[in-house]
Amino acid sequence: MVQINFALKEVNCKVVFYGPGMSGKTTNLEIVHQKAPEENKGELTSISTDGDRTLFFDFMPLDLGNVAGMRTKFQLYTVPGQVYYNSTRKLVLQGVDGVIFVADSDPEKMDENVESYANLIENLEEYGKDVRELPHVIQYNKRDLPNAMPVAEIDSRLNKFGVPTFEAVAYTGEGVFPTLKTLAAMVLESIEKMDGKAPRRAAPAAPKAAPAPKQAATLDAATVPAPAPAPAPAPRPRGPARPVGARRPAPPPHGAPRLRRPIPAGAPGRSAARSVGVTRRGAAIAPVAAPAKRGSVGLVVGLMVALIAAAAGVAYFVYGTPQL
Amino acid sequence: MLEPHSMSQNQRLRHDRLTFYKEDIDQIDELLSDFLRLSGAKCALLIDKDGHLVTKRGELCTIDIDTISALVAGSFAATKEMARLLGEEEFTAMFHQGERDNIQLSLVGDRTLLTILFDDRTTVGMVRLYAGDTAKKLAAIYQAAMQRDPSGSQLHEAFGTDAKSKLDNLFDS
Repeated sequence: MVQINFALKEVNCKVVFYGPGMSGKTTNLEIVHQKAPEENKGELTSISTDGDRTLFFDFMPLDLGNVAGMRTKFQLYTVPGQVYYNSTRKLVLQGVDGVIFVADSDPEKMDENVESYANLIENLEEYGKDVRELPHVIQYNKRDLPNAMPVAEIDSRLNKFGVPTFEAVAYTGEGVFPTLKTLAAMVLESIEKMDGKAPRRAAPAAPKAAPAPKQAATLDAATVPAPAPAPAPAPRPRGPARPVGARRPAPPPHGAPRLRRPIPAGAPGRSAARSVGVTRRGAAIAPVAAPAKRGSVGLVVGLMVALIAAAAGVAYFVYGTPQL
Repeated sequence: MLEPHSMSQNQRLRHDRLTFYKEDIDQIDELLSDFLRLSGAKCALLIDKDGHLVTKRGELCTIDIDTISALVAGSFAATKEMARLLGEEEFTAMFHQGERDNIQLSLVGDRTLLTILFDDRTTVGMVRLYAGDTAKKLAAIYQAAMQRDPSGSQLHEAFGTDAKSKLDNLFDS
């Protein structure tokens, strides 16, 4: 949800790049990071696996600057695309204000596109959101593939709600900014409506309020896979239309998830990429409890016994020997 | 306590911690300053569950606030999922220990996270002790704020047109 902070004079919006694995979500974000003016962008942070696949999310703040007295910022996130990361994908969607769905133009990936879009609808429903009311656009990426599916054909299978669509070749930067610009405009328009000038939607009463009937049934091949207890992730080889490997550094030799963000040199012991073993001190600590005072407990027990004995004595004098 | 159906739009947004007004933040800032003085922690951030900063107090010069807010919210969201698997609704506190710096997270109300950064100038016990107390007071401020009419602040009517022009500058330059 958009946060409007009149104290800090800030408006914060959350935008998520969604789509199937390897469709180009992280590449979109990398291009935005490369091309956005220095004063408008923050650092690009990625929580990814050794195989350079997004494990949790990539994140980058994009500052639009002062808009009518309010510093307006977009927090850009990507999600892990693989089916078996659905639980983390769903977490990233929490509080989302706009979605860019990045679809793969490879005809062989069409089922994955459809499945991922159905998964988006389902995950939004769990937060009580209807995709038709959420600002979102679709980007048809990898248009440079020789066998790229015709746009009209993808559109007929994927764009069931008639949202704006864009053709892109993300690794060259083509189509990346137009997609983000349109989505950003849609989100800002929704803020104006939310601010009371023309209230369009009420704030959700509860995050998981009675999900509406699943929209997935309206989509082709809409069998949304359950978040299965998946086998170990097996990184797929990159497709020919995504030669972005050169932009990404070689993975480190160890097996821990790592931050793709450059780690400052000279701080080897504090690197977030370091594999940190689980220690008792590092684990969640039990609430701080005052040590039991045994002396005080003994005194209280003694007083209680004396009190009961005195009461029994008084009862004996008043009522005499009880008759059983 | 107001029922959701009887709230105004502003009250609903405030209830869901989507809109923050200066009068509320001033109270929160004062409370966080008191907390820092008592606990000896370096800085306190109040972050909403969507990863946006609400307010901050203390030594912050070298911290990338946007990124840490996003990571804290993501980290908390992940533990919520773990809690669910264990049959808990959510964990209300988390602690990350470093060689020198540490982070303590406490859930405040149902939408914000009190994030405390501290080093070896204090102890985790002190921080946890005062954090619990501060979280309760913050929840009380939220409750009181929700029932009070806000100051009437709203976005300037030129927000839409100005936003369009800023988007043109950013993406078409």
